[in-house]
Amino acid sequence: MNNRGIAFSVGLLLRVIVAAVFVCAGLVKAINPIRFTTDIYNYHLLPWSLATVGGFYLPALEVICGLALLYRRFSEGAMAVLLGLVVVFILASITAKFRGIDVSCGCFGGASQNFTFTTHLLLDITLGVMILALGAIDRRLRAMDVKDR
Amino acid sequence: MARRSWPWQALALLSLAILPAAGEALYWRHQVSWTQPPAMDEIPVEQARHLRGGLIWVDARPQPEFDSGHIPGAILLNAEQWDALLPAFLNAWKPGEKVIVYCSKQSCGASREVARRLREEANLSNVFVLKGGWEAWQQSGK
Repeated sequence: MNNRGIAFSVGLLLRVIVAAVFVCAGLVKAINPIRFTTDIYNYHLLPWSLATVGGFYLPALEVICGLALLYRRFSEGAMAVLLGLVVVFILASITAKFRGIDVSCGCFGGASQNFTFTTHLLLDITLGVMILALGAIDRRLRAMDVKDR
Repeated sequence: MARRSWPWQALALLSLAILPAAGEALYWRHQVSWTQPPAMDEIPVEQARHLRGGLIWVDARPQPEFDSGHIPGAILLNAEQWDALLPAFLNAWKPGEKVIVYCSKQSCGASREVARRLREEANLSNVFVLKGGWEAWQQSGK
């Protein structure tokens, strides 16, 4: 397999994994938005009304962006939004930790209620690195395409 | 159709997500309040001290904090060791007893999480969260 083939295969694998993680995370939270709203509110960063908006909007955004990641026309935008979400999640967790707030991250609904702070942080960082790697592979593939023309 | 740059794509996706979110908000409109959080069944320390009838304290903090000090008679039950600790709690709990869950700080979400799981997974009804948590308990004893 040549360099292009390897880059394409790795990129495809990363794309499918990241998309699956965000679609699953979004669907799990969308099933019980009140619970996710409470999880957001427990960070003590937003008033209840804004936490409610986030409780409905963020799961939908995760599902839409997860699916868009698989569609070439929107994959760059999806990567940007998902990376932004991951950064926000990491900052919110660190802020909560430093303020002594012990919260369930809520990232995967009930499945994540036993996640420790470290597990949560590692998961978010891994996702962030995977998205960045995917962006780099996409750019490399496009550069190869231009060179081949 | 020409491919748009990533900011345009991101804007389109951010806008598109409003539709399912609005649909879901419409579906849940009778179950969720937009102005105030649901009642957390918080109970102040003084009220908790004078509760009549059976009462069991649940410490939702991590094991090391529990080991360094806890409310006399409290049972350790936190989200991190839920499966391992729940049987001991259920053995200690008697039907009809009220349960008060506490954590280390007033802002601690762990006690609310444990209280919620006791209601939903263990089907207990009289579950309360101690307002102010362990710190409020210590201050009230001074």
